Amino acid sequence: MEGQAPPFDFQQTISILKSTGKKAQNVGELREGIAATSDEAIFHHTYQYFLKGHVLEYTNDFAQWAGETLEETILSEHLSNIDPYSFKSMGEVRKELLRVIDRYLERFPEPRQAMTGEEFYFNESVALIFLEGVRARNLAEFLMAVKYVDPGSIYFHFYEARSRINAETDDFSKWFEEGLGKKELARSVRAIDPFMHSIEGIREIIAELVERELRLDMEEGVA
Amino acid sequence: MISRYAGIAPKGDLLLIKRLCERFQGKRFLHVNSTREGGGVAEILQRMVPLLAGMGIDARWMVIEGDPFFFEITKKIHNALQGNSEYITEGMWEHYFEVNRRNSSVMDLDAEMVLVHDPQPAPLIEFRKGGHWVWRCHIDVSEPQKVIFDFLSFYARKYESAVFSIPRFAKALGIDEFIIPPSIDPVSEKNRDLTEQEVEETLSRFGIDTDRPILLQVSRFDRFKDPTGVIQAYRMVKKYNDCILVLAGSPATDDPEGERVLSEVREYGKGDPDLHILLLPPSDKDINALQRAADVILQKSLKEGFGLTVSEAMWKGKPIVGGAAGGIPLQIIHGVTGFLVHSVEGAAFRVRQILSDPAMGRAMGSAAKEYVRNNFLITRQMRDYLAVWYFLDQGRGNVLRV
Repeated sequence: MEGQAPPFDFQQTISILKSTGKKAQNVGELREGIAATSDEAIFHHTYQYFLKGHVLEYTNDFAQWAGETLEETILSEHLSNIDPYSFKSMGEVRKELLRVIDRYLERFPEPRQAMTGEEFYFNESVALIFLEGVRARNLAEFLMAVKYVDPGSIYFHFYEARSRINAETDDFSKWFEEGLGKKELARSVRAIDPFMHSIEGIREIIAELVERELRLDMEEGVA
Repeated sequence: MISRYAGIAPKGDLLLIKRLCERFQGKRFLHVNSTREGGGVAEILQRMVPLLAGMGIDARWMVIEGDPFFFEITKKIHNALQGNSEYITEGMWEHYFEVNRRNSSVMDLDAEMVLVHDPQPAPLIEFRKGGHWVWRCHIDVSEPQKVIFDFLSFYARKYESAVFSIPRFAKALGIDEFIIPPSIDPVSEKNRDLTEQEVEETLSRFGIDTDRPILLQVSRFDRFKDPTGVIQAYRMVKKYNDCILVLAGSPATDDPEGERVLSEVREYGKGDPDLHILLLPPSDKDINALQRAADVILQKSLKEGFGLTVSEAMWKGKPIVGGAAGGIPLQIIHGVTGFLVHSVEGAAFRVRQILSDPAMGRAMGSAAKEYVRNNFLITRQMRDYLAVWYFLDQGRGNVLRV
């Protein structure tokens, strides 16, 4: 089956930051900002969190700001627990963010102010998608490629893929299952928690899983 | 020429630059600013324009000319945008416009993409012939003198798009606004790899011992860079870890305040053979060598623009202790690529922490270098300018295929 599989063309996303010019200095203003800002800004601060390559103590920019800058740790815990991939539209993600913040404001109605210069800045991004120029025709080629493609390529296929319309999974597991017939490998890749790893961590896990699958294939071939 | 960056810059950035340059092959990309030499903008343009030309873009860089009165006015505008109180008369605004008008009559402003840097040439937008016009503001306009900013916005809003260095500097102008941080050139004299011999040569010329850890701050002698605070922190560290402090800065030839600060610093550090105060030009190879020889680099600024010296230090793979001011928190991820501090005591404590745990210092330095590689190299800035051009050219969608 591997011989006839459609190839996997690695693509990549590079995004540039766009400012809305809007900011928030406390949780109340953050709430108002989230309610009023564009879908693109919600997308940027939630789905694209992993593209930024910073330390992933949280799972979105709102949680990070609440936790790091305002030291509103309870709020940051609640916000970090939101899984944007479990919602069908940006409107639903926005609604959930507002629900969590409203519940927090009911309990703690006098939130802290951020110092000047440490406000939350609402941004969007423009994503440029392009072919990485790397193609895998089988699992061995995929292993070599996944080790060396740019982090933006891992992001595109593992994270960005889930936010596309009607997509419920990442591109890698889809190709393993539909292209190569590797259901078990696909299942293992889908089992990776996207929120608990950096892009480099995801790369490492996928490479390990693919390598193990290749070893098994070779052992089976010998047997 | 771009091939010099292969193996240094992220390959995705180089690939995107290549793809975008293929799209814009032969098209004209004009940069306009007000100085050919001096300052970070000119420094980057000197290197970026030939790189773009080498990729098949018809890249040009033009400099507007003005009389001393014009530059006096634009200095006032600059200071007011940074929050100082300045008064600009109607006559001054008229002269500011008139100088730009005169420049426009002798400049070839015809290009597919025009990037106008800073306030001095901003009124040139009134003489646009076609193409996409973008205003690039390098200044910290987070707390400007409102009336001056409002007047300048009159021109800024006429551009298709504006570019600021960090989100905090951006203003709601009602046009597309991008955040593009400045960058360093990894192959320039002040950032390229040096041999051990080159580093040793610098140290021995300045009589700096290598038998103890070296702390270094590279900056102008300016109160906002807190050089005396650095000396205080060094003295606190020295009680626990015998070390050497090097303060290296550019000579303050045109700044009387700088001369005063330098003599204060000299007075404050008098009689300490382990404290070296060096006057060096900012682009010097010696700065590069000092950064490579240092064990910990400080940038204890109290107020800062972007603070690119931080990225320069990080590029040398060194742990850095920086004041949480201006663009420094964008470069230092606290506890990962360095430490952010808010006081002299904080600086001393973090330096001691790094000196006591060299393995942590090495890990931080290595994370710092990678962070700069991915975020603050000239290729990333070049990529972003081309991306803004592509965005304007392709109907301004948030997702673009190249």
